[in-house]
Amino acid sequence: MTPAGFQVLLALASGHAHGYAVMGFIEQVTGGQVRLGPGTLYRTIARLVADELVTETETSDPSAPHDARRRYYQLTPLGEQTVRDEADLLARMVDAAHSAGLLSQRRTA
Amino acid sequence: MTHQRPLGLGTHIFVPDADAAVAFYREAFGATELIRHRLPDGRVLFVELAFGPDKLLLSEEIEELGALAPGTLGGSPVMLLLELDDVDAAAERAIAAGANVEMPVAEMFWGERYGIVRDPFGHRWSLCTRREQLAPDEVARHVPADPTRATHGDAPSRP
Repeated sequence: MTPAGFQVLLALASGHAHGYAVMGFIEQVTGGQVRLGPGTLYRTIARLVADELVTETETSDPSAPHDARRRYYQLTPLGEQTVRDEADLLARMVDAAHSAGLLSQRRTA
Repeated sequence: MTHQRPLGLGTHIFVPDADAAVAFYREAFGATELIRHRLPDGRVLFVELAFGPDKLLLSEEIEELGALAPGTLGGSPVMLLLELDDVDAAAERAIAAGANVEMPVAEMFWGERYGIVRDPFGHRWSLCTRREQLAPDEVARHVPADPTRATHGDAPSRP
């Protein structure tokens, strides 16, 4: 699971189904620290689709340009399980970071 | 960040037939095609393949760009190293899809299962487990005097 892969799965799990909304969510949730460019978004989603973690939804307009920013996606059951497992793993590391005194109160709230 | 560190390292290989190569890498090694671009004359300028977290660029031979495949050059001096959970299964799939064995899969002195195949396009692949079991000191103690006898237990690695 690449960081970009997790970020896209997280965006979809948070209800952001459209490519542009996925990009906006990631930028917003990371306070602008992470910005997925259109090329990265396209490659990341192509990979998630090939791995059967994500599918394109029927709401996508088939005549729309083949641009991931303009299409709609959703998690598969496998994708949902995968993002849960990854979030759990990351949460353990964040807990350890908290125990190590690395996090401010604001970020652990 | 002011220091100029590389952001990543990829590999770009040249093959006579991109469709055949992509099919082989998908079947043998589970690669995923992400992007493809063609020249106006139909030749494949590049395909981007994902191998786990890494990527491989692949182009068809384009002589005027000096993009030459191993067959044209008479061999390849480069080995592509692919880490896998099940090396034996990957080697079997590669052989079934047309690869030749250069070195059968075996346990090696550095603590990994490892073998070498040459794909149908002339590229050499070393397939190895991703174990990282042995500390560097332990590996150093087991380096064989004769490099052709690298398999664990001193079995000859080549017939």
